[in-house]
Amino acid sequence: MFARLVKESFIRNPRRKALTAAALIVGMAVATATLSVALEVGDRMAREFRSLGANLLVTPQSDSLPLQIGGVDYRPVNEGAYLNVSDLGKLKMIFWRNNILGFAPFLDVPATLSGNATTHAAGVHTTAVHTTLIGTWYQHQVRVPDGTTFQTGVRSTHPWWKIQGRWFEDSASEAVVGSTLAANFPGGIAPGQTIELTSRAAGSAAAPQSIALTVTGIVQTGGAEDNAVLAPLSIAQQLSGHPGQFRQLFVSALTKPADALAQRDPSTLTPTEYDRWFCSPYISSISYQIKTALPGTQVRTIRRVADTEGRVLSRISTLLWIVTIAALAAAALAVAATSAATVLERRAEIGIMKAIGASNSLVSGIFLAEQLLLALVGGVIGFVCGAALARILGESVFGSPAPLKPILLPIVLGIAACVAIIGSLIPLRRAAHLDPAPILRGE
Amino acid sequence: MFGRLLFRLLRGNRGRLAVALVAVISGSAVISALLNIELDVGRKLAQEFRTLGPNLVVAPRGGIQTDDAGSASATLMDQEAVWRGIAQTHTPDSVFSAPYLYVVGRVNNTPVIVAGTQLQPDLLHPAWKLDSAQKAPPRIPGWDADTELLLDAHSAFVGQNAARRLHLALGGRFEVTYMNRTATLTNAAILDSGGAEDDQILAWLPTVQKLAALPGRIQFEELRKDGDAAEITRYAKRLSAALPAYEVRPIPQATQAEANLLKRTRLLVGSMVVLILALTALCVLATMAALAMERREDVGLMKALGGGIGRIVALFVAEVGVLGATGGLIGCAIGVVLAQWMGRQVFGASVAPRWEIFPITVVLMTLVSMTGALPLRLLGRVKPALILRGE
Repeated sequence: MFARLVKESFIRNPRRKALTAAALIVGMAVATATLSVALEVGDRMAREFRSLGANLLVTPQSDSLPLQIGGVDYRPVNEGAYLNVSDLGKLKMIFWRNNILGFAPFLDVPATLSGNATTHAAGVHTTAVHTTLIGTWYQHQVRVPDGTTFQTGVRSTHPWWKIQGRWFEDSASEAVVGSTLAANFPGGIAPGQTIELTSRAAGSAAAPQSIALTVTGIVQTGGAEDNAVLAPLSIAQQLSGHPGQFRQLFVSALTKPADALAQRDPSTLTPTEYDRWFCSPYISSISYQIKTALPGTQVRTIRRVADTEGRVLSRISTLLWIVTIAALAAAALAVAATSAATVLERRAEIGIMKAIGASNSLVSGIFLAEQLLLALVGGVIGFVCGAALARILGESVFGSPAPLKPILLPIVLGIAACVAIIGSLIPLRRAAHLDPAPILRGE
Repeated sequence: MFGRLLFRLLRGNRGRLAVALVAVISGSAVISALLNIELDVGRKLAQEFRTLGPNLVVAPRGGIQTDDAGSASATLMDQEAVWRGIAQTHTPDSVFSAPYLYVVGRVNNTPVIVAGTQLQPDLLHPAWKLDSAQKAPPRIPGWDADTELLLDAHSAFVGQNAARRLHLALGGRFEVTYMNRTATLTNAAILDSGGAEDDQILAWLPTVQKLAALPGRIQFEELRKDGDAAEITRYAKRLSAALPAYEVRPIPQATQAEANLLKRTRLLVGSMVVLILALTALCVLATMAALAMERREDVGLMKALGGGIGRIVALFVAEVGVLGATGGLIGCAIGVVLAQWMGRQVFGASVAPRWEIFPITVVLMTLVSMTGALPLRLLGRVKPALILRGE
């Protein structure tokens, strides 16, 4: 009987239901879309922030004081400590290995650059300029102890470096020249030319080494590297007499903004807190894991990058959650208002039912059942529309759609049901207490 | 007559109208709060990017050259000229700058980079942490702890690595030697920069210039201009024109990344706000349409009495229009308060209320409400008897 009444009400008055249904569908669609975005956006934006480049710097623990200006180390090669390239595969074995997006080792060698310069006066002659040879990787395959390989290099850690021409091949005698050096070298340096680099060992007895390299491109970095020559790490190792070694390592890691737990000293944490800290990709826990994996190193956070990322990410995430809650509140209020309006509209029906003897609970029950059914159907359709909306949003903002989270369906249906019921309850309660006669009379 | 009818309509149906009013008020509160936030979010987020540090560099043409003896080569700039150029083109609160001159000096016979500069770290390098509190005497001469400015010839910030390796205690004096010249400096604060400055000693620029025997010369000047990519490029051009002898370059790491990230964030927030706007408008439309649909019998009655459909519909459109406008106004006021609260939660600072949102929201709400009532026009064709019968 109950079911029949509900079914009849749907068949007879589809138009009135349509408006409530429309409000429900639109409301739940927006709720789904905003919830999906809010859940995904943290990860997506963190990945976008990796365009800032490396956020960690690994150096030997027992190093001498680096003489760095603008990122280029001017120390003689026989001073200071070195790290081994063979250890680098271990970086992809730490707990947070999937968050290590890239790393690049650097070895700076003071060198003299000679090339053939043509002047209009005297024909071809050789000039020599003091510069630095920076040895690094552009795209290098690193062998990881578990058998896989990992491709990495300055492409991940310094993504803002622009190349005119192409980067060097790791195994070839090629080099890339900084734009300022190329422009100011007498006669200029262009891709295709050959340059010769001689190591400058200040006050060392060993004979200086020379190597000839083909220039494959001109790089613009915006920093001191524009005055230097970049070549494969193996070339710099050869020139400096330190095979298999490097001086410093830049690491680009995907991290989670630091909160209260991350800022505490790990040694003061209880075992449960320590587990939570270790198993969260805070920059402090990733640093700790790198330090443990690479013995004899000191891991520093490049704070201008890490702090900016942390601050902006946490602001964006708070903003988005607030916007999402506003959307949910707006959706809930709209659905509640529409439910209330439709119940109010049908006061005559309530009056009739009461007049022929239906109890208050039966009347309320029928209406609530209707609203619930509407909410469920509307919720499902709204969820589908919302998922499509979230995909479009993900595509247009991040360039790739976010995967659908099925857990949202019960949440959205739950919200729809609650809101529709709450919305109808208030007018139902009022109507239930009224005398049928005035309602039937039309007041 | 029209006004009287309208007034009676509004007074008569308080129950139903109250529901509709609540819908409109909540809708317009959310809309105006979000619009307020959205208009400000770009500016507020750009301020967070200050932590990235400088985004422009003024350098001599030919780049920054040093050789490993650390002696300054021919490519230097005139400090005064650069400062004049910046002073001519900048607006006080949006451009911060610092000049630099580097020498490779010796402290306790160990080579260390000594950077001569004059800067306010919290403006140009917010990520730096200056520590003077540990074991220092309460007042270190030549250093202003409030502004963190180096004030005199003998104070220096020592990077934390340099302090550790050279055993330079906080508050202690040490000597820097370069060529045959010596300067005595006091360790005013330990610097934790998270960058290359951890290995350097930062001293007052004139002191380092004297040490290098290069009075009035600097190697480069770094600047930070707040704003988006377009503003930074425009400022760089203006500064270039004011300093024709030197090169003004944006620092690509800062400018590119900031531009890209800000764009994505604004797109994201903007899309969500548009979505919510559409939802709210649609829901207000639905509520108003439901309200108007109830008037069917009244429309039928008025037609039977001889009224033209145009005037009748106008009455009900006006009814919902007044509802929309009133709800819009109240909702806007609530929305401004809501926006302030949201701003404090997200940015820790209140958002400036934008008064242009008021007319926009009220007009939007009124238009949407009126659109909801328009379907009543369709009743124009139907015979009054059919309407009154309830079909």
